Amino acid sequence: MNLAKETVDWLDRRLGVRELLHSNLGGYLLPRNVNIWYTMGSVLLALFGLQFLTGLLLLVYYVPDTEKAFASVTAIMNEVPYGWLIRYLHVVGSNLIIVFILLHMLSVLFMGSYKRPRELTWLSGFILLNVGLVFCLTGYLLPWSQLSFWATTVATDAAGAIPVIGDQLVAFMRGGATVNEATLGRFFALHVMGLPLVFFGLVGFHLFCVRRIGISKPPFGDDYLPTEVPRSFHHEEHPGGIPFHPNYTVKDLSMVFFALALLVGVTFFAPWLFIPPDALEPADPFNTPQDIKPEWYFLWAYQTLKIFPSELLGLASQGVAMGFLAMLPFFDRGLERRPSKRPLFVTLYLLGILLFFGLSLWGHYS
Amino acid sequence: MSEIPATSTERRTFLGLLLGGIGAIAAGALGWSVFRFLSPIDRGNEDSQVRIARSLVAVGGAHFFAFQGRPAVVVQPAAGEFIALSAVCTHLGCIIKWQNDSQDFLCPCHAGRFSPSGQVLSGPPPSALDSYTVTLDGDDLLIG
Amino acid sequence: MKKNPTLLFFLFAAALLFSGQPSFAATTTVCIECHGDLPGDLGEVPVAEWQTSVHARYQTSCHDCHGGDPTDYAMAMTAERGFIGVPEYEDIPAFCGRCHVGVEEDYRESLHGQVLAFGGPNCATCHDNHAVQVATIDLINEDSCSRCHSYERPALIKEEISATETMLSQLETSIAALYRVGIDTSRLEDELFATRNDFRRLFHSVDIDKIRAQTAQFHSDLEQTKAAVAELEDTMGQRKLAGGALVLLLLLGGCIGLLIRRSYHDQE
Repeated sequence: MNLAKETVDWLDRRLGVRELLHSNLGGYLLPRNVNIWYTMGSVLLALFGLQFLTGLLLLVYYVPDTEKAFASVTAIMNEVPYGWLIRYLHVVGSNLIIVFILLHMLSVLFMGSYKRPRELTWLSGFILLNVGLVFCLTGYLLPWSQLSFWATTVATDAAGAIPVIGDQLVAFMRGGATVNEATLGRFFALHVMGLPLVFFGLVGFHLFCVRRIGISKPPFGDDYLPTEVPRSFHHEEHPGGIPFHPNYTVKDLSMVFFALALLVGVTFFAPWLFIPPDALEPADPFNTPQDIKPEWYFLWAYQTLKIFPSELLGLASQGVAMGFLAMLPFFDRGLERRPSKRPLFVTLYLLGILLFFGLSLWGHYS
Repeated sequence: MSEIPATSTERRTFLGLLLGGIGAIAAGALGWSVFRFLSPIDRGNEDSQVRIARSLVAVGGAHFFAFQGRPAVVVQPAAGEFIALSAVCTHLGCIIKWQNDSQDFLCPCHAGRFSPSGQVLSGPPPSALDSYTVTLDGDDLLIG
Repeated sequence: MKKNPTLLFFLFAAALLFSGQPSFAATTTVCIECHGDLPGDLGEVPVAEWQTSVHARYQTSCHDCHGGDPTDYAMAMTAERGFIGVPEYEDIPAFCGRCHVGVEEDYRESLHGQVLAFGGPNCATCHDNHAVQVATIDLINEDSCSRCHSYERPALIKEEISATETMLSQLETSIAALYRVGIDTSRLEDELFATRNDFRRLFHSVDIDKIRAQTAQFHSDLEQTKAAVAELEDTMGQRKLAGGALVLLLLLGGCIGLLIRRSYHDQE
């Protein structure tokens, strides 16, 4: 007890940690009506941490060589003690991260929290979703299974529809005319080094934005009224609010526990949800498996490409949809955030969700 | 005492301890898995024998090989007499060399010398080299 | 909208997404290209039958049995490219036996094989030709056998081998389930494959005494595989138990966290 106090004293004299801790924990006040959706960020941070740890551990035994990759993954699953656990946590974790990013995004959209002055928070978050998807895509190739090989072939092939530079772009992404050892090399480097660096930088920026501008007040309850955004920088305060620590951190913690329970549950009882049969066969560049389908989070894009008459139109429509979402706070400049006062937005929001599910299901069953 | 309802602080302390305990068990489970994941894999061939062709070991010569994952050496100081030893110097772990001229082992790191049977002749090594049994099997030597 | 680098990023990200038309369609041989469009027994009939067969499933195509060159229209059916065409009735066991070596051997020694020259059954009599399916014990049935002789003896043989066959198919199912959850079952599969092949060639001898004498050995081989499978299944069960306990523990932790959160409500 005394030792702890003396350590903090020592640090306090040099870095002023007491003030720092107070202003970010006990003295950091959240809006009184803060709700459960505000815990999504903490859940995601915990899952990222676990993903980093399991990824690091897999790197100990994984061999990024087309001749050895599949065998090394088989060895991780069968010979290395608890290798199956580490790998399944990594696989299931990646899928859960996409789920929670989507939930986080949907709640921010519904509550209008993306609106000015929080455009940069939204934009960095949206880029994080895309980096997360590229993480999934690059990680997919590494086991060098039939699924890895053909999913990557089909995914990179789509870029060929872009006029003029399409073919060069495909060859550049693959490092050759077809998916080969050069593709594995660059995807591996991206997955374990390039993307994590970008990702951590972006997460840092995202958190900085959240803290710097101040957390947004949920647009619910009788006392909520839209306020004019000041013309100069202004940190939004919530006087008389709930202390972040320990009052709200314990809620964050309990949601992290529930998310981990879900992760462990799927890992132990249904890991095959995310390991289709083709993922169990080593890659064979001369034999395309039948009915190859992308992962669930790419199904909407897959189906979009199928329903447009040309691939270029399909790609362009995806680009427009994603670009529109990314730039939403720059178009949507009204101050009103209460869903009940934004019928048009809520209608579009629900239609968007339906479209996502509809296209995904259509893609899955077609 | 028991009739007075616990204060929220008391309840909080109790629940906090419980939560800490659960967190510790979960962290322990993960920690144990990671520890086992990183521990050397027991491939179950620790006591398996190594077979070496007798012709590889000249009279007065030495042959180096891997035994149980470590460097080892077999020498034939006199015709028909085979000795198998660990090739790891007992001083600081360098790999010893066979000196054909003097018919003994020299450790190149700090000039420790060992006899063909593994005994320390001179220098800093604190103890003799580990030795392994050698069995003749036709044209082969079975070591271990 | 102003030019912005993020849009480029999205285009790139979108480019990474999946397309609907994989550009790598399964290759068809020149055999199927021509014969697939022809009517009748040298055209669409055998091609359609083959497509339902176990051979098609494992990519054993026309030329693997009938010879010839599947890549060259002009030379496809020439003797110099090894074209065999349709085998004579009596040549069928040798035709199939190029791959199914062991079965051919036992068949030749059997009564079936010995009467081949007098119109006795060949492989296709029971297994069909182009539409050949995975062989099961149900190929021995009254309708099929009584085309030539009484069902008395086949029934005895079927009874003799049924226990071993059941065990074989149960083990196949168990091993497939283990494989599905990521277990490396290649050694077990090889073991079972070898035992199954030896057993299947044995009953092609249609010699009930011989089958009786050797079934015990097959049983003990299969018991060994069964023990290995049981051990793996046991491990999977233990994992589930540990996983279940961990899930409950984490759920409990989450609930306690919520209770602590509630204890702050009266102060807020």
